[in-house]
Amino acid sequence: MSQDQTPPLTVASHDEVKEIHFDGEMEDRIKNILGRYSETQAALLPVLWACQERWGWISAGIMEAIAERLALSPAFVESVVTFYTMFRSRPPGRFHLQVCTTLSCRLCGAGPVIDELKRTLGIDFGETTPDGRFTLSDVKCLGVCGEGPVIQINDDYYTRLNTEELGRLLDEFK
Amino acid sequence: MLRLTIDGVEVQVAEGTNLVEASKKAGIEIPTTCYHPGLRVVGQCRICFVEVESMPHLVTACSTPAQNGMIVMTKSPRVRNARAAVLEFLLANHPLDCPVCDQAGECSLQDFSMEIGLDESRMIDEKRTFPGFESRQIGPAVVQNQNRCIRCSRCIRFTQEIFETHDLIMKGRGARAYIDTFDGRPFDNPWSACVADVCPVGALTVKDFRFRARVWHLMETPSICPGCSVGCNIDVGHLDGVVHRFKPRTNPEINGWWMCDHGRSLASDLNNRDLDRPAVRSGSTFSTLTWNEALVILAETIVTKKPRIVASANLSNEALFLIRRLFVEHLDLEVVVPTDSGAQRWIKNERGTRIESIEVQPNGTGARLIGLSMVDEKGLRDFVSQSSVILLDNRAHAWLAGPDAAAELRGRLAAVFGRRHTELSRTADLIFPTASWFETEGSFTSSTGRVQLARPGWSPVRLGRPAWRTLTDLAVRLDLPLENCISPRRVFEEIVQEIPAFAGMTYRRLSSEPGIPILKDIPHVG
Amino acid sequence: MMKPLLLRARGERNSRSLTTYLRFGGYGAVKKALIMDARDVIKEIKASGLRGRSGAGVPTGLKWGCVPKASGKPKYLICNADESEPGTFKDREIIRVDPHLLLEGMIIAAYAIDAHKAYIYIRGEFFHEAQMLEHAIGEAYRKKYLGKNILRTGFDLDIYVHRGAGAQICSEETALIESIEGRRGQPRLKPPFPAMAGLFGCPTIVNNVETLACLPHILENGADWFASIGTQESTGTKLFSVSGHVESPGVYEVPLGTTFREIIEDHCGGIPNGRELKAFIPGGSSAPVLTAAEIDTPACFDAVAKAGSTLGSGGLIVMDETVDMVWVLENLLEFYAHESCGQCTPCREGSAWALNILRRIRCNQGCPEDLETLCRIADFACRGMTICPLGDAFCEPIRSFLDRFGGEFRAAVTSGNPPRVVKAPILPTRRDQSMFAKPGTESC
Repeated sequence: MSQDQTPPLTVASHDEVKEIHFDGEMEDRIKNILGRYSETQAALLPVLWACQERWGWISAGIMEAIAERLALSPAFVESVVTFYTMFRSRPPGRFHLQVCTTLSCRLCGAGPVIDELKRTLGIDFGETTPDGRFTLSDVKCLGVCGEGPVIQINDDYYTRLNTEELGRLLDEFK
Repeated sequence: MLRLTIDGVEVQVAEGTNLVEASKKAGIEIPTTCYHPGLRVVGQCRICFVEVESMPHLVTACSTPAQNGMIVMTKSPRVRNARAAVLEFLLANHPLDCPVCDQAGECSLQDFSMEIGLDESRMIDEKRTFPGFESRQIGPAVVQNQNRCIRCSRCIRFTQEIFETHDLIMKGRGARAYIDTFDGRPFDNPWSACVADVCPVGALTVKDFRFRARVWHLMETPSICPGCSVGCNIDVGHLDGVVHRFKPRTNPEINGWWMCDHGRSLASDLNNRDLDRPAVRSGSTFSTLTWNEALVILAETIVTKKPRIVASANLSNEALFLIRRLFVEHLDLEVVVPTDSGAQRWIKNERGTRIESIEVQPNGTGARLIGLSMVDEKGLRDFVSQSSVILLDNRAHAWLAGPDAAAELRGRLAAVFGRRHTELSRTADLIFPTASWFETEGSFTSSTGRVQLARPGWSPVRLGRPAWRTLTDLAVRLDLPLENCISPRRVFEEIVQEIPAFAGMTYRRLSSEPGIPILKDIPHVG
Repeated sequence: MMKPLLLRARGERNSRSLTTYLRFGGYGAVKKALIMDARDVIKEIKASGLRGRSGAGVPTGLKWGCVPKASGKPKYLICNADESEPGTFKDREIIRVDPHLLLEGMIIAAYAIDAHKAYIYIRGEFFHEAQMLEHAIGEAYRKKYLGKNILRTGFDLDIYVHRGAGAQICSEETALIESIEGRRGQPRLKPPFPAMAGLFGCPTIVNNVETLACLPHILENGADWFASIGTQESTGTKLFSVSGHVESPGVYEVPLGTTFREIIEDHCGGIPNGRELKAFIPGGSSAPVLTAAEIDTPACFDAVAKAGSTLGSGGLIVMDETVDMVWVLENLLEFYAHESCGQCTPCREGSAWALNILRRIRCNQGCPEDLETLCRIADFACRGMTICPLGDAFCEPIRSFLDRFGGEFRAAVTSGNPPRVVKAPILPTRRDQSMFAKPGTESC
């Protein structure tokens, strides 16, 4: 897929998100989200998305702030965060590489791509490179089975990969 | 009312009853693990399958409401196969550690295995484990073993729905999901140990009871929690004269299925006693007496010194009634019952109504109804500030246990009753060992005005005697025999005759009903 | 080859824009529908024979008919764009090619069931697609196709995009509703069905993207015209997402009833590298696998069911002769074990257990009993044993793989070197009943 270079994630450090108070901009977003639903709780997923976009991940402090804002218990927010695999409860690298490991991609040669990826980055699934640049995750089916093998980097899909192409791709992000 | 047939038995149930409860009515027990009558139905453990005629699939009994003319089969081969399969799934990753598991003996999985007869597992792979979660103290009162968890979510629903503390959650999803608190913080709410009661397996256990006793050895005596005036119904688990635990006993009107951690923590108190025979002061030391000798001295003191009497709201209705009859009516002595409101405790009953305590002592309401005068701490201090005093329970009020009371009452304390020495008891002239509430039968009146019976687990140990008996014996020494008062049951009958609020109650009803409400429209005596 | 309907704008410049859509006569169906009686719209859809395109194949008109007329509560329409079953990527194609087609379908559906708020639940990974939808919705609002008093007919409708966050289970309609409500996406007990009590406890209809995209065409050209496409029971065209071993994978729109041979050989250019077809999964990864011998099955709901599989979502996964079926099943189970929400015992434990067995077999440590155990798991984790159909979704592959490719599995276990099997008793063997509490005296 040809597209502009994927921008890096903003990733807040642990200290930055220890205690969160929503500023005016965030508050506006939340108000806007709340207007779409007849129950406050329904805003949870969109608000989590907004926070993850802002801070890169969802810390306990963020969960507490959301809970307070939406009149939920922090524990409830955490149970929701941990249910959905796309919410990150640990800080990721600036480029989050998510590789599809499901059938169609595998049939089209995802195996060598994954091996190459692990070898080049020197990390396994669920790990982040020491320089905090890349995090590698395996995901189940990204929903573009016809264009496999596919990697999602942050919000963008990179499809029809093979090992050479992967090399070029990674060079762009180095 | 709906009529349906379950395994050939016809039953009538109210609209909205589910098939688990309907089957209970037909005398049929359906295995359940995620279903709990006090919690929202989620129908996720899938073991309560039953077959309903004209329905293509098996249905879960917990989530299926009874309907008129339904024909339900709970033991058909299809049902048995399905249940055996679900049980096998439940056991696939469940550790086979029954011999070292504290839940053994009251574990749903174990019971169902016995019933369904599953002896072997096809599971030959390594079982799923949660390292670090094998015996993790999740809070001050509860220990978690995630390996044993079958994810019935009862504990989660308990914290969400009953006391709405929202402490426990499921983290993650699927087979790797586990129970935890927000950010791993301690699980401490006033009712936290109830999650161990609702846990059908040994995943959550009560810390204080762990490895104390095997439950199938335990004797269980139905009783009333002495922790406050709410009057939660409990089962006292004891073995060879040692009390090991309190467990809530269902009472739809008062505590539902629950009790608080404070109440549970009082179990070990019953095992402590250091007063075991009557004693009299001679100088700075005490010499022991027989009960006869001691009662003679006490009778003499009462006649000569006309002491003031401090009774106790820890005592049963029967004891308080005899106190009124002997000391107030016959001897015309001044008697007070001290209470203190203490920390507010509350519980929810089966309908979710909040039931609150009014005082820390369990029977203040009873004392008031019987017509004794009640005092708070200040009143108590005023009351004991002069003349000679007899203290019928050295733990009647928190103030009495403190150093102030001992200093205040020095030299004027004619007699004290108790199970354990306090600073105060060492200043008394006469000391009497009492039986604990667990060693005597008696009724208590809860904060909401329900009269409930607490049964004794055993006879008094050593020479401790229950208050009602001491009082009748004393009356004999004083030549003022208390007619008809030869047992708590007879005393209760007297109460029913004399105290309007208790009118119409019988002892038989006390033992079979979840507490009898007092007659509220009758003005209190005294 | 017939002209595509749902993908008619594919290949156009700026196909997503409102201008292009209007050029194709877009929003004409809405103009027609909004002056009809809502009951007539439902009648028209019923007459068209349109069946849900998400997997179960429920007639759409029938589903709408279940919405209570006078409940006094607001009604909701939800578009299910949480397309996440492996092998399925057709809804994404519709959104990328022609989002206004979806929006127009939603307006018609909302009008038919009298909903004034609608949500598009789109899977979290589809970030750009969600933005495309937001953009299209913005355009539609500006031109008064959405919002208050649409086209001056007095009908109001707001459409919002709600992103999921990575849980395949949320494509199940009650899990999806839970997810919109801000909870863990765990399917609900049914009844009540969403049509009676769904989102926020109100009557709710959940329809798939492709289903909704069919509506403008039906309204535009009439039910009879739509019913004439496809077969008697399966009307209309269907998008097939073809992936795996074909020359040109992708999304193809063909009338229902086209044979799989036509799809694979004519549309997709056949199997690459001169290899032979071995097997194909006709309807997304949860559909039972079919063998090369069944390639002449017509792709319609009934014929595929007759062949022992389901048309499901139309996710066609093609495998050539080199593929190891044990490996395929392992891969599929990996997916289902990962996606099980963990509520129901049979699915949670069964999927993980089956995966363990497959992994062991693939490590050459299988034993013949493993196949029996797999069959047993497949027998008892589906067909009503679980709350939602995810139980069936992993059991059907197990059963069909063992059924059709049993030889490969038997070979894999006989050559295996199983671990020492210790049949440990589940309980202490002491059968003394008094040792245990009486059945039923559980703690509570």
